[in-house]
Amino acid sequence: MPVRITMGQYYPAQSPVHRADPRMKTIAMLVLVITCFFVRNFWQLALGYAVIAALIALAHVPAKKVLDSVRPLMVMFAVLSLMNLFVHTGGDVLWRLGPLTVTTAGLWAAVLYTLRLVIAVVACALLLLTTTPTQLSDTFDALLSPLARLGLPAHELAMVFSLMLRFIPTLGDEASAIMDAQTARGGALGEGSLPQRVRAVGPVLVALFASSMHHANGLARALDARCYVGGASRTHWHPLRMRRTDWLGLALCAAYCAGLALLCAL
Amino acid sequence: MTQPTYANTIKQETSPSAAVAPIASLRHVTLLYEHGIRALDDLSLDIAPGERLCVLGANGSGKSTLASVLCGLLAPDEGTVDLVGQRVLDQGQPDFAAYTQAHRQLGLVFQNPDDQIVTSVVQEDVAFGPENLGVPPQEIGRRVQRELHRVAMEDYALADPTRLSGGQQQRVAIAGALAMEPRLLVLDEPGALLDVRGRRSIMKVIDRLQHTGTTVVHVTHFMEEALQATRVIVMDRGRIALQGMPAQVFAHADELARLGLEQPFSLRLATALDSRGLDVPHDCNEDALRASIVGHFRDGTAIDATKHTAQPRRTAPSQPDATGAGEQTAAHTSEFAARPDNAAADPSPILDVRHVSYSYVAAGQDGRPRPALDDVSFTVAEGSATAIVGQTGSGKSTLLRIMCALEQPDEGQVLIGGTSTASKADRKRLHSVVGYVMQHPERQLFAETVRKDVAYGPTNLGLSPDEVSQRVDEALDMVGLSHKADASPFELSGGQKRLAALAGILAMRPRVLVLDEPTAGLDPRGRAQLRTILRQVHESGVTIVQVTHSMEDAVHADHVIVLDRSHVLMDGTPQQVFEPRNAQVLTESGLGLPRPLRWALDLQDQGMPNLGDPLTTAQLADALARAEDASSPASDAAGATRVSSTTAPAQESAGDTSCPSA
Repeated sequence: MPVRITMGQYYPAQSPVHRADPRMKTIAMLVLVITCFFVRNFWQLALGYAVIAALIALAHVPAKKVLDSVRPLMVMFAVLSLMNLFVHTGGDVLWRLGPLTVTTAGLWAAVLYTLRLVIAVVACALLLLTTTPTQLSDTFDALLSPLARLGLPAHELAMVFSLMLRFIPTLGDEASAIMDAQTARGGALGEGSLPQRVRAVGPVLVALFASSMHHANGLARALDARCYVGGASRTHWHPLRMRRTDWLGLALCAAYCAGLALLCAL
Repeated sequence: MTQPTYANTIKQETSPSAAVAPIASLRHVTLLYEHGIRALDDLSLDIAPGERLCVLGANGSGKSTLASVLCGLLAPDEGTVDLVGQRVLDQGQPDFAAYTQAHRQLGLVFQNPDDQIVTSVVQEDVAFGPENLGVPPQEIGRRVQRELHRVAMEDYALADPTRLSGGQQQRVAIAGALAMEPRLLVLDEPGALLDVRGRRSIMKVIDRLQHTGTTVVHVTHFMEEALQATRVIVMDRGRIALQGMPAQVFAHADELARLGLEQPFSLRLATALDSRGLDVPHDCNEDALRASIVGHFRDGTAIDATKHTAQPRRTAPSQPDATGAGEQTAAHTSEFAARPDNAAADPSPILDVRHVSYSYVAAGQDGRPRPALDDVSFTVAEGSATAIVGQTGSGKSTLLRIMCALEQPDEGQVLIGGTSTASKADRKRLHSVVGYVMQHPERQLFAETVRKDVAYGPTNLGLSPDEVSQRVDEALDMVGLSHKADASPFELSGGQKRLAALAGILAMRPRVLVLDEPTAGLDPRGRAQLRTILRQVHESGVTIVQVTHSMEDAVHADHVIVLDRSHVLMDGTPQQVFEPRNAQVLTESGLGLPRPLRWALDLQDQGMPNLGDPLTTAQLADALARAEDASSPASDAAGATRVSSTTAPAQESAGDTSCPSA
């Protein structure tokens, strides 16, 4: 309970980024995420960071709020960096211990790979912070609608996604409450040998599963009660509309891609 | 209040056809669940437009099933159902097209606010229903504003619902249902999981709906909430056992008791007075009963009419002394805080909380640490029963986790039986000394059978299988679930699940049992059963500490700790805490006085003699009976006898009563 999950929490504010069409924002996010894997040199990295810094400023979201969403992924980043550090060879050897060598290329790769992933994570965080779940679900619906013709339940997937965002904190609270209860009953969570740990997790998982089912039943009743039957006849309080600024946003996305391609040669 | 209400428009729509046509009509309806359980059994019911129908009944009586049928979510197996003018079920044959149509004009709000809110922005959630109905965007905006205003949540339109209190969440859920402009709103125990303040805010909303002509069906476990209804039905095993105006239904005291329900306070008091030889009319209406008690005394005893006007009254909760009350109460509070005798009296308390502070990390919007507890100190004597009271957000739950060695305080320390919770090894050992029953403990159940689940704790203690088995039997016996030992815990009823979870902790034989709102969400019978079990556990020598919203539970404790916004506000015996002069502080922290005391103060305000601060219904009835005895033989000596008739704690009030002679 002490630390609540901040990922996926809408941050209400009045800003151009909040007002932008969520479809454009989602496309921009995808562009930032995909292109980050093509970032290979310092100048590209600098461009990427300049863009996300500008976006954070434009969105009126406190930078700390954005960075909070990076924090839970720090462990993963650290592991990735370490792997890159040892896997990449080339350049001057800086340090050697048995089979492990650290080279300048390895060091650069470790730094680069981590820093470029931060761009992707911040882009996702910004989208979630500035877009309500309803808008997100409408966006998914809209962007996936071409696939709906092929039989993909686009609208339902979008709804599931938005409900998932809604229930992450609830289930998180639930999980810590159950962990407390089993710990108080002498359950040895997170201690002892591996088999002991695995055994201790069972009572938490089963109880959490049971209570998730309970929530699911309640939610089903609520969706029924509020006449949710799927996409067809729904209206939208705030229908999605592309304005001039949104087209401008898309143009800037294209410009960003072009910029990265140009800087690639440096 | 000239806001447009859709109830008016609906009346206009429906009036040409038939003004008296019922909104819902059930004829000989039977609904079967698995294993042949009859959730509804040949039930017939009509609901008229504008009615406020209250449905009472013990758990498993079919209340919730009835609610689901009324809002078109369940089709019964037999009978005929008409909902909002549509014949949805004809002689057991459902018409699904008609159901879909009817469904759009029926609203439902149920117990758990967490499950009913589907998005993470309040106003988006209210808009969800109208969007599903295909309402045009502009109209959605109007409805969202109107309904948020109606439930007094317009200031939270952009808030994240998961950060709101339970009462606020439920009001959002109600706004979400109302935005669909239902012709019938079904509220299925909306206050069951809320604290006193949350329940009160829901009742206010229901009152307002009644005034604007909305038809409401309200299912509840709280008898007082039924008093404002236009009609009450009491369910028992799928049938209507009693029905009528609140006063008519609640007059059947024996029948209600048999059905696992209770009478509202005013009737319980009237009955208690009856048994003490005081003849007062049994009246549901609290004001009427108060008036007749006062009238009774005035006629019989000739209380000097000028007396109560001249008499300086102590501050009552409803009429706070605007000028001096704040200072006076503040001084009083600090007097409590400085009181050293509680710690000094008992050389080795079982629980010793010393200057504990605790903050949450990055929980608020600003990301700054938010204090949950700030320099909290108190002790709990071995073998005592302690109640911790305070409204949602006062830090109670955090305090319990720290007391149960589940969390380390940022500052200060907690000693359990003399051992500090600072080291991890000690904490693990202490888990067998302090038993922790979390809020809704049924969530901890996981094993295939009740027996295995209860055995989890003792097995973790490393006991021999024989010892474990013996403890499990004993614990199950204590909670009365021996016959369910081999059943799956998930097949038990709600109340039984809670008892099974409690057995799982009792089987560890803790010296202290710490419970977080153990009676929340239970029906009156379940509440009474749990209280009896806790009393037995306490009598066997176990120290009990419970967090409770219920002042009625708190007055039965030996020791009451009031927590308000991360601080200990008061700490003492129920008599010390629930004193008339604390009324304002308690009301401000969302608690208020126990009902009997509030009644006594109100009666005194209306000219009754001092009743000596009764905390329970029995004490209040005793005090009234004593006052009657004292005043009836010789009315001329009323002043003197009244003083002697009041019990010890009222020292300063003795001064009060002698005052009029001057």
